[in-house]
Amino acid sequence: MATIHDELDSWLTADLHGELSDSERSALHAHLVECAVCRRTHQETKTMNKILEETLADEKADPAFEERMLAGFRNRIPQTTGVVKLFANLIRLRAAQIAAVAAVLLGLVQIGRMITGESATPLRNRKNYASEDFVARPGQAGASRADQSTSLAKSDELARGRSQDSTLNEPPPPTVPASRSELDKEAAARPMGLAAAKAVAATPENLARAEQAESKPGETPAPVSANRKLIRNATVELEIARFDDAVQKITAFANEERGYVATTNSEKQANGKLRGQVVVKLVPENLDRFLQKVRGLGELKNQTLGTEDVTKAYLDTDARLKNAHVMEQRLIDMLNTKTGKVSDLLQVEKELGRVREEIEKMQGELKYWDSQVQFATVTISLAEKDMEEPAAFLLKERAQLALYAPDVEKIYNDIKSLASPKVQITNAQLNRDYSGRVSARMSMLIAPEESEGVIGRVKGFGRAENFQTQTERIAQGGSGMSENARTKRDKVELNITISRDEQEQAFQQTSLRIRTASVDEKAKELGVLAGKQGGRVRSSTFNRDPDGREVADVSLRVPMKNYPALMQSLNSLGKVENVSVQRQDRTGTQIDEANAPVDISIQVYSQGNIVSHESGLLATLRRTVAQSAGAIMWSLRMIGVAVAFLAPWVIAIVGVIWITRRVVRAKR
Amino acid sequence: MDANEREQYEAAIHGDREAFEMIIRTHSRTLFAIAYGILQSREEAEDVVQDSLVKAWKTRWRVRDPEKFPAWLTTIARHKAHDIFRKRRTVPLSKEGIEPTEIQFPDTTAIDQQLHSALAALPELHRTALTLRYFEEMDYRTIENTLGLTNGALRGILGRALASMRKQLRPALASMH
Repeated sequence: MATIHDELDSWLTADLHGELSDSERSALHAHLVECAVCRRTHQETKTMNKILEETLADEKADPAFEERMLAGFRNRIPQTTGVVKLFANLIRLRAAQIAAVAAVLLGLVQIGRMITGESATPLRNRKNYASEDFVARPGQAGASRADQSTSLAKSDELARGRSQDSTLNEPPPPTVPASRSELDKEAAARPMGLAAAKAVAATPENLARAEQAESKPGETPAPVSANRKLIRNATVELEIARFDDAVQKITAFANEERGYVATTNSEKQANGKLRGQVVVKLVPENLDRFLQKVRGLGELKNQTLGTEDVTKAYLDTDARLKNAHVMEQRLIDMLNTKTGKVSDLLQVEKELGRVREEIEKMQGELKYWDSQVQFATVTISLAEKDMEEPAAFLLKERAQLALYAPDVEKIYNDIKSLASPKVQITNAQLNRDYSGRVSARMSMLIAPEESEGVIGRVKGFGRAENFQTQTERIAQGGSGMSENARTKRDKVELNITISRDEQEQAFQQTSLRIRTASVDEKAKELGVLAGKQGGRVRSSTFNRDPDGREVADVSLRVPMKNYPALMQSLNSLGKVENVSVQRQDRTGTQIDEANAPVDISIQVYSQGNIVSHESGLLATLRRTVAQSAGAIMWSLRMIGVAVAFLAPWVIAIVGVIWITRRVVRAKR
Repeated sequence: MDANEREQYEAAIHGDREAFEMIIRTHSRTLFAIAYGILQSREEAEDVVQDSLVKAWKTRWRVRDPEKFPAWLTTIARHKAHDIFRKRRTVPLSKEGIEPTEIQFPDTTAIDQQLHSALAALPELHRTALTLRYFEEMDYRTIENTLGLTNGALRGILGRALASMRKQLRPALASMH
């Protein structure tokens, strides 16, 4: 019984609380009889229990506690009203949550369809069935109408009637069943009629018709738009290949869809392209199909589709109209019965006039709306492809020419004499500077057909140099390229500068040296040689230095064609050295190469009698030593550069190695 | 838990007000006992029960399993009570929260005062077990379920609780004999 003794407290407590089983209780009591310590504890625990029972009974919740809690709860959470509560409960239900999510998703899908233009296909199909039936019915074979036609026709008419009713708001056709019972009869008759149709004539046409009819019972006319006044408008912008074809096709489409072309206008651009607008009116239920067709005509640039609901305004006006009618009637009655003062009557008359005017205005408004509702308006803007193609090109030619001649004034006058109606001189200037040099500048406009001849003649007047032509093609009435646009040549503008031929830059420059004993003599001979080859001496200098060296500089100018011969003859004068040739090839210019001037500068010199300081032995030695010292200095500098380049790397690598070693050592 | 109770909890979770009010009737005393066990103040305990019920109604949809509804209720009550207990302790810094009851029962007898201070000295779990037992005379199984104790653990807890109180009150007890 050591356990009881050890855990006496829990045993005693459980006993007092009546939580001991019979066997446990007898075991406990047996121990209590034996153990005096436990008996005392038992006594104390009993007292403790009693005190607790008494004291805590005061502390426990009073009998009205629950009611207080309830009242408090009701007070703080007021009862929600029926609908709100229902909704609140509903949104907590899993099924309702799923349904809500599904509805939102469906809604999103529908919005997406609407945006992408796949909108409302089921609805349109339904309407199409109705209208197709209406159009196709007259073509139906008489034989197949025998039995089923009554029911089919009626259902067709039913559908048509409903669709018209819903969209056009016309008075219902007489064929529309007036009452619900009639509709029911229809429904009952339909299956029988169908069966008969299939049995009697199983031609493909009839089958198709029967299938259409079969699909009908499931349809219900869209009740949403019933009695609503909706104005549907659409605008389409298309780029098409040919305007006239497109208009023709649009007209055909409009006829197919029970519509008509209201207005057409077109405008011809300078480049022969047409741009225009076609306004088509057609019954609203065919609008979508019509747009589908029109879109196939060309490239769709822009499309808008709008629906305006004028129901409210329409009904308002209608009600006001009725009131006005009543008012009118009342005024008429007044006029008829009242025999009051003339001024009163006049007042009434005036009022009547006002009311009637209002009535007319409102009637006009209603009529306008009716017409708008009855027909949807489609505005199609058409533009032919390559609208921006230019109409024509203008070729602008500009030529520049430099002429060199000995007599500038003569040529200037010659060119001036060329002037005629087709050759207009716009600018002519003759300048003479203080040194007597003459130059001229002329500008002329030449008719395109004359241009080549005139330019050729001008070139013949002197040495033509630097002839440049520049052609610019200017697009007119558009931009870009065009295959069909005509190209027109404009007047050619010619700018001429005339200068004396000395001023011409040499085409080639040659410089050479000739060593000879008799400088003076040879220099003179040079002038003779140049004269023989059609050239002349431009300048010459002669110089003798203290060492006894003689130097003559001679500059010659010969035409290109005589240059080789001259060079050949120079060899006879002495030893030719240091020939350098510099040629200026001017690209893009037409040069008369044979006559182009060539400058030759020749230095004729003789060797001096005294050896100069520069070529002596000492001088050579000094130069050699200085050069070798320079070389050594240079290599020293290079070594310095190399060291400066490598040193940081070496320092860094050594540093890393040093740190690594320190670390390794420290670890040991 | 029988099917009836389960149904009741489920209805309450789904917003059946009557079911919830029924639960208020059946469970608020238990909640009171728990709150009292923590706070040892009737007024505060009552406020706790009230707040817990309101909160339970507002957030009832969070309970997925109706079986756990009562346990969830007691959890709310315990948290609320602890919140208040913490606030109370932080306000008077000078006084240790061990004996706040002395102020609240100025007119009780000496033994009562001693009893309350002895109660206050008990661990919270012991005190809650005691209040559940002595307020509502719950059997051990129900108390164990309510407090989430394992089978048979309560015996030791109550035994120790009574013993420690007995030892503290021994002089007073002796005088009663």
